[in-house]
Amino acid sequence: MASVSDQPSLNDANDRDPYNNNCYGTLEDAEYKLAELPVLDVHDFNERIIRSYEDGTAEKQLPADLSVARSLVPAGTATLRDFSYIAPEIPEYIPDKCTGCMDCVTLCPDTAILGKVSGENQWQERLEKIADPAEREMFTEQWSEPRKYYDGPKKKLGEGGKFLIIIDPSKCKGCAECVTVCDDDALKMIPKTDEVMTTIRKSHRFFKEFGPTDERYVNDNLLIDMMLKEQTHIYVGGAGSCAGCGEGSALRMLCAAVGAKYKDDWGIVAATGCNTVYTSTYPYNPYLVPWTNSLFENAPAYAMGLRMRWNQKGWSEKPIWCIGGDGAMFDIGFQSLSRLLAAGMNVKVFVLDTQVYSNTGGQASTSTFMGQNTKMSVHGKAVGGKTERRKEIAQIAMMHPRTYVAQTTCAHVNHFYRCVLEAMEFDGPAVVCCYTTCQPEHGVADNMATDQARLAVDTRAFPMLIYDPGKGETIKERLSLQGNPAASEDWWTNPKTGDRVDFIDFCRSEGRFSKHFDRDGNPSETLLQANQERLENWKQLQELAGMLGKKKPAAAKKSQSEKPAAKPAATVRNGNGLPHGFAQGAKITYTSGGSSVTGVLASIEPVVLSLDDHTEIEVSLDVLRKAIAQGIVSKQ
Amino acid sequence: MALRATHIYETGQLQAALDFFKRMRSELSTLRKCRVWTDKVQVFDVNGDYFEIRALGYPDPDVLTALKSINTVFNPERIHESVDRPYKEFKTGRRHPWAEDRVM
Repeated sequence: MASVSDQPSLNDANDRDPYNNNCYGTLEDAEYKLAELPVLDVHDFNERIIRSYEDGTAEKQLPADLSVARSLVPAGTATLRDFSYIAPEIPEYIPDKCTGCMDCVTLCPDTAILGKVSGENQWQERLEKIADPAEREMFTEQWSEPRKYYDGPKKKLGEGGKFLIIIDPSKCKGCAECVTVCDDDALKMIPKTDEVMTTIRKSHRFFKEFGPTDERYVNDNLLIDMMLKEQTHIYVGGAGSCAGCGEGSALRMLCAAVGAKYKDDWGIVAATGCNTVYTSTYPYNPYLVPWTNSLFENAPAYAMGLRMRWNQKGWSEKPIWCIGGDGAMFDIGFQSLSRLLAAGMNVKVFVLDTQVYSNTGGQASTSTFMGQNTKMSVHGKAVGGKTERRKEIAQIAMMHPRTYVAQTTCAHVNHFYRCVLEAMEFDGPAVVCCYTTCQPEHGVADNMATDQARLAVDTRAFPMLIYDPGKGETIKERLSLQGNPAASEDWWTNPKTGDRVDFIDFCRSEGRFSKHFDRDGNPSETLLQANQERLENWKQLQELAGMLGKKKPAAAKKSQSEKPAAKPAATVRNGNGLPHGFAQGAKITYTSGGSSVTGVLASIEPVVLSLDDHTEIEVSLDVLRKAIAQGIVSKQ
Repeated sequence: MALRATHIYETGQLQAALDFFKRMRSELSTLRKCRVWTDKVQVFDVNGDYFEIRALGYPDPDVLTALKSINTVFNPERIHESVDRPYKEFKTGRRHPWAEDRVM
């Protein structure tokens, strides 16, 4: 057995980790997360078992003791894992160009890019604590002054907020997702030289010792800012997922939204699949909440049992999220899911929909798109990939009694957070199905998770929806397709290019459909059928939402005599519920933190506010309505 | 954002352009997108750095092979159509499925 008594704690600096980058706490240093379990000694586990895996001696030196036999893993042990050696490049932050949009922090699959805001005075005081002048200067130069945190708050609070983006070198896998989602060129990939890594390791250390974000600079109405708070980092870095894994971002964002409200006072039941493999590769666990996994097919049933036990213990207010992939929820655990929804139990279900059995090597599931080339539906002369239609779990779930249902993607950050927060508010079962890439199975590059998720929505491959039984008596009242571009049309036309995009355009961008295109780029007959099938699915949703056959406002012009009596000016609204004057292209003023920025209401579906400080804010129509009512958004 | 290298295409000399792509590929980070003008092709990486082939544009038949060689996502049927904007932009993020092209 390895002896650890004479060695420094893994949670402290040591020879292998001189700047202590691999330690507990995401934004600030923290102690091991202890558990009140007589069968689990967290200190022994971390110092003996994790150490053996980290130094490569586990296989030969660790005895088959009770910890291994019980398969118990303490919370957050993945934070002790070092991935700094696996990629040739790492992101570099360019402060002058940053607008503080937080997209990079939000969409990183590995909790490897982090943000912090500090008031100027406090910032100066904290910097003084760095003893070495050269190191202090190096760290000082990395802070930025984006309008969002600096100019506006300076007028309101008297001091601006300094903003910093930092890379955790031990968790970054070099996927370049953060660089890809940055619209401001404020991040770039650079080679990992010894000098670069030393600077990044030191900077990350200073960042963690700098103290928490000053909450005066965090606007709770901006959901994308939630990751500035430590309590939202429930999913720490160090999971064994592939570089750029779309599922990783989805799980992080789910955990952030739940953590923002419940901190670590909730639990997860996970169905076997890729998600359980990379989040419980013994002895590494990225979750800071209780997590359990039984079988592929029974996670919802397991969650029901847990719900009953927690209720017996008086824990009915603690959320339980049941997580599974499409294989678990669409296929093998489908009856279990249906039973949970029919039971009306207060369990929330999160589906990581990659349209394929990712973990076992890419077999077709019922979620797989028609034509997709997968194992068990391999494209060849006789069969052109999967020939069946895709099952729609959202529509099926909607037909269960009183169930909240949503389909969303990580690329639509506000929509995603809204779905998760509403699902938790809903008193009953909820299903949130999230489109996620599986880079190796889909045949897309590591940095493409957000791009492809957005394209999936734009091309009707994966429409976004929210079905909230609390919104009315009819399906039409309950179902919202807000967030889908050109929701009243069959297909969306890209205003930048004038090109109409459809499912075939989506297929063209991914390797999983590449065999469906001939040398001249013509799609196969199967793909044309798949295109039609996606359109039919979209039309079905439009019909359910009461949008099919609905004339556009211009075409629906009634004669003067048919017009209803005019409503009082204060309540006159557009068809989308917005007050008059808030049409697409309207000039607006956005007021936050005591300062105002002018801009344009760039789009209604989805709602996008394009501000003159180069900030783009995407919110739901409901949020915009509230912001207008509260004066946060006003006409110029 | 910086121009890293240029190549002047000469009619009938496609292989030289393909060799240029192959040779310069390692100078860039992960490829992000491709802009095709009437008279040049620009290939960008995630950092915005790019290389350029001049005298080869979307009206040219050889552009098809050039774009395919860097995994560009485009519709060959429409690539030669003229547009009222300066350039056409395409992603370069398609890869082989099942990690055929990855070295672990």
